[in-house]
Amino acid sequence: MGRLFVAALLLFVAGCAGGENVVPGVGGGKFAVLLGKAPMYTGQVTPGSAVDRIKKRGKLIIGGSQDAPLLSQLDPTSGELTGFDAYLGKLLAQYIIGSPQTELLSATSETREPLLANGTVDVIIQTYTITPARKERVAFAGPYYQSGQSIAVRRGTSGITKPADLAGKTVIAGANTPAIGAIKAVAPTARVVEFGSDPECLTALKQGRGEAYVQDQAILVADASKDSELQLVGEPFTEDPYGIGIKHGDAEFTKFVNDWLREIGKSGLWQDVWKQTIGTVVTGDAPSPPAIAS
Amino acid sequence: MSLVLEGFLNTVALTLLSFAGALVVGLVVAVLRIVPVPLLRGVGTAYVEVWRNIPLLAWLVLFVFGLPEVGVTMPLFWTAFTAIALYEAAFVAEALRSGVRSVASGQGEAARALGLTVQQSLRHVILPQAGRRVVQPLANIAIALTMATALAGVVGVVDMTRAAQRINLELAQPLLVFTGAGLCYLVMAAGIGFGARVLERRLA
Repeated sequence: MGRLFVAALLLFVAGCAGGENVVPGVGGGKFAVLLGKAPMYTGQVTPGSAVDRIKKRGKLIIGGSQDAPLLSQLDPTSGELTGFDAYLGKLLAQYIIGSPQTELLSATSETREPLLANGTVDVIIQTYTITPARKERVAFAGPYYQSGQSIAVRRGTSGITKPADLAGKTVIAGANTPAIGAIKAVAPTARVVEFGSDPECLTALKQGRGEAYVQDQAILVADASKDSELQLVGEPFTEDPYGIGIKHGDAEFTKFVNDWLREIGKSGLWQDVWKQTIGTVVTGDAPSPPAIAS
Repeated sequence: MSLVLEGFLNTVALTLLSFAGALVVGLVVAVLRIVPVPLLRGVGTAYVEVWRNIPLLAWLVLFVFGLPEVGVTMPLFWTAFTAIALYEAAFVAEALRSGVRSVASGQGEAARALGLTVQQSLRHVILPQAGRRVVQPLANIAIALTMATALAGVVGVVDMTRAAQRINLELAQPLLVFTGAGLCYLVMAAGIGFGARVLERRLA
């Protein structure tokens, strides 16, 4: 009995020690460097505001993905979220709370607006393209990233050199991605076939389920770097401004997040995050962050 | 609007065709499970246990992405149809088998005692009684199958659910869009339930 008690005590102590050493929400040493440079909010906090709520709770609840490579992907070995969206979320938590405490709730395009409206999540950071229709139901901070849809084909495919060439063809797209609308806009007669995830879309393309695959350029570049069978066609043909989704009507918090985005854009932190994530597959210097609207 | 129609028609077509396919395959499997030949019974049992004990979503992914690897590429709609029909056939077979089993064994023995052949006793005594007992279980399977067709949206078929998701992507009004899609399923399922009641009364 005594020995069991000691063993239990030791386990407990070991557990505590582990908890103190591991800074939660920090994946790898490189991101920790960025965290050291991250700004912290020191101004006034209105009681009862979103910032006040998040501060008191001690963590930022984010609606996002676990399966978006380079943007927000759960690393199965470390259990950490990595990617551009994920790191921005942690930096935002650092800004508000003073530590990168975040909780990710898996959101989907069906659940994003209700999750914000009923206050289940504080923000949505999930390649959330700012559109006029969505602006009526959600407040957007940002844009924090300017993305674009690109076309990929099997190596050796002829006849697809520009977006208009997709007309009449079967085109693969990720389910619930902005690609679907983008394809319809440039080639209304294209037939869109959707699959749930990027690997499924790639397999489908290679198995001939479609002639082309339209996806965010960064993801396609990452795919092509791992798979020589894949070939990108030209430059991105759309401009998708990604915004941070905030509860509709919360102008105070929107302005707060916008101010933070401007600050990390100016200090170069935004570019550092880009280099550690999307910049690992896209060649060239980090782009400048998009101008924050209003 | 055309997207809604396309999705709805695809769901209706997938439901009707898959259920028809499931009935045909299920009937064959049920017969295999009933006949007094151990080997055939074994085949029937194996079919049911393999097909119904693996999730339909797994079957769909295996069919859509696995079959092309071995050189069989069918259009997505027909791939989904095949997977759903073969999966639901296992449930149909069990419903049919339990219907036949529910007819008291004395009925069959009495028919044989009267001098009817196996075929005659099946046709005139057992199957008519089993028939009306399986109507409701089969309707249950048909309704479950209607709902299961939504999984085909995951593997590229534009069904009702997938169409709703696409529309929601533009409108950003999930509650409205999915309530609408839900009502479409409700109408289909209610139709199946109504048809089953009519059929049951006829057979009674």
